[in-house]
Amino acid sequence: MSKDRYSRQSFLGANSEELISRCTVGVPGLGGGGSHIIQQLAHIGFQRYVLYDYDVAEESNLNRLVGADLTDALAETPKLHLAKKMIYGLQPNASIRGFACKWQEKPEPLRECQIVIGCMDSYKSREELEIACRRYLMHYIDIGMDVHGKGTPVIGGQIIQSSPGGLCMRCMGFLTNEKLAAEAARYGEAGHRPQVIWPNGVLASTAVGLAVDLVTNWTRCARTHAYLAYDGNEGTVRESLTLRNLAIKTCPHFPGNEVGDPVLVEL
Amino acid sequence: MKAHIKMTGELHAAMLKDLTRRHPFAAERVGFVFGRLGSLADGGRLLLLTRYHSIPDDQYVEDHTVGARIGSDALTWAMQAVYHGRPARESIFHIHLHRHRGETGMSGTDRREIPRLIPGFQSVGREAGHGIIILSLDHGSGWVWVPGAADPADVACISVIGAPIGVFERRRTE
Repeated sequence: MSKDRYSRQSFLGANSEELISRCTVGVPGLGGGGSHIIQQLAHIGFQRYVLYDYDVAEESNLNRLVGADLTDALAETPKLHLAKKMIYGLQPNASIRGFACKWQEKPEPLRECQIVIGCMDSYKSREELEIACRRYLMHYIDIGMDVHGKGTPVIGGQIIQSSPGGLCMRCMGFLTNEKLAAEAARYGEAGHRPQVIWPNGVLASTAVGLAVDLVTNWTRCARTHAYLAYDGNEGTVRESLTLRNLAIKTCPHFPGNEVGDPVLVEL
Repeated sequence: MKAHIKMTGELHAAMLKDLTRRHPFAAERVGFVFGRLGSLADGGRLLLLTRYHSIPDDQYVEDHTVGARIGSDALTWAMQAVYHGRPARESIFHIHLHRHRGETGMSGTDRREIPRLIPGFQSVGREAGHGIIILSLDHGSGWVWVPGAADPADVACISVIGAPIGVFERRRTE
């Protein structure tokens, strides 16, 4: 491989290529968001992946599933296969542990990751993934988009970094009991939310940017958390107003000693 | 058996800060760090470090044949901590620093002296994993005795989950 391959990203640091290659990233969900994420990670040089998706490509995915074409929709190609094809095409020596199931059905491989990037559909699934990331010490980066509004459609979304020791999604006001209860009242169904490729691209790119910064520290920001709000109508990504006005400085929801496999405590 | 250690960036920084402090007479410092067990695929074990205990200056014993020697007060404290941590199956690791960059390993003295602590920890905290961690200024190595094991497993990787992330992989064999 030519030494020029990563020359345009040398500003990330002299040893960034090695740092990136050593980091293991988990991506549960390889649909509209996840397919962008793994494509970018592979371009940047990430070599180690833990991937989960039990779904197959369908015609209704083709408006946003990066790497899928008409033949994949006809053949119902597994999204996991599409992700592997994408990664191996760019990184033939990559280590990919892929599972055609929900991450909850096989959680152990995920625990070796340093970063998990979640592209979940529901608040409940986000909450579950964040809990696992805190329990087994992983940075969690969440992305999600929605279209709402009764008149002119409004595209919104978020990119959140929740890291062990830092503020969590509850601290940052993104996860609330009210949101979880409202979703549960709909029997946990997030429904078929509108999804289009360009907001997913913005959200995924921003999430990958946060991940690269966590690995290389090229911005010297040393972020302990982040909550960025996407306004798809204005075309902006800004720090969430909720976060800007937050009084809380330390997370009360995940005590530092609540890690590892749960144990029964005899009273 | 595959073993992996993880800790937050905050804990790693706190340990480095403490272990690089000068001691009135010892050439280096040692400490104890606690953790919990997690399970990995294929029977592997994850050790998740939670808190660090700095050994007070007066609990060192003056012995210039070694970098540092701790006395019975420090060892008694550690044994008691393991005992009190039994309900949560809390693990304990002896930790010290080699002041250089890059991968590090046990010195002859380390190999001779430190593993002698482990059976004591195992006898008090049978259901936890205990071990040894040696940090360098930018790397680290570890050995873990999983519950019931007579011999240690080499820790394949130590991950520092901070900003930046640290991934210290074992390349050399002892």
